[in-house]
Amino acid sequence: MHYKIIDPIIATLSGGMVAFAAARAVPEDFGLLPGMLAGGFCGMVLQFVLTFLLMPFLGAFEVMIPLSLIGMAVGMMGGMTAAWGGIPVFGITWAGAVSGLFISAIIHYCNRSLTRS
Amino acid sequence: MAEKAKFDRIAKNYDFLKSGDTRRWAKAQLKFFRQLRGRVLYVGIGTGQEIAHFPAGLHITAIDISGNMLAQCRSRADRYPGSIGLVLMNTESLAFPDNTFDTILTVCTFCSVEHPDQGLKELRRVLTPGGKILMFEHVLSRNPVFALILKSMSFITARLSGTHLDRDTVGNLKKAGFAVDSERNVYLDIVKAIAGHK
Repeated sequence: MHYKIIDPIIATLSGGMVAFAAARAVPEDFGLLPGMLAGGFCGMVLQFVLTFLLMPFLGAFEVMIPLSLIGMAVGMMGGMTAAWGGIPVFGITWAGAVSGLFISAIIHYCNRSLTRS
Repeated sequence: MAEKAKFDRIAKNYDFLKSGDTRRWAKAQLKFFRQLRGRVLYVGIGTGQEIAHFPAGLHITAIDISGNMLAQCRSRADRYPGSIGLVLMNTESLAFPDNTFDTILTVCTFCSVEHPDQGLKELRRVLTPGGKILMFEHVLSRNPVFALILKSMSFITARLSGTHLDRDTVGNLKKAGFAVDSERNVYLDIVKAIAGHK
């Protein structure tokens, strides 16, 4: 298996899913702060489920670390954006997917610098 | 003995649950396990997924707290081109005499040992003077963001499976009187290959 390819794909899909779920869960005009908190909570719940589903296939820590960051950050962003209003769910989902990919890239970079011997 | 019951319960599904880790860490383990020498004690063999990464021809005594885990491990141990003796034993109270083993190996064991200080003291006792301890373990990250994630997840995993994700195993190793020779990161600064000696 080529984890260098699989990891960013999983992170991108998870980011999209979390943003989509947060955008659907938070109604428009909910208020930015409550929207952010609700989106963050929604993202954390979803990342928890995804982590336990993916761990046996992709490794515990390699799934847990990126998905936790994606769940919280992308969930908060998705919830806040949905509460702001005027942005279609499709757009929020795309932004979530790109954020997931970005987080995966940061972790990949951190891992490369920490494991270089 | 709560830990024993937890491992007995998950023994049948353990291979599946750990298969991702086994695949991810295969290359690092193959390289790390080349240091195994002489009379080897493998602490917490579980279902023996790492046996495939051992160099051939070793004489290993492997212990585990769970009888169900050892039963799952049996066929892998029998296929190993060397010898592996399986013994039901708790790391915290080893039944071996002092200075018995030349090398001690642990793989993701000290996240589950109830009292790691006591377990490491026992390992030091049974290791020959100058003997090596090799630990392939996950520890708490020094990065505050990763550490926060591990601490929050540890709250859940400790209750579900007795696995603590927030252990300072390198610090505990030093506290138990071992000298740490090398500490190599395998994934971030969370999964580590640690080598030390008595």
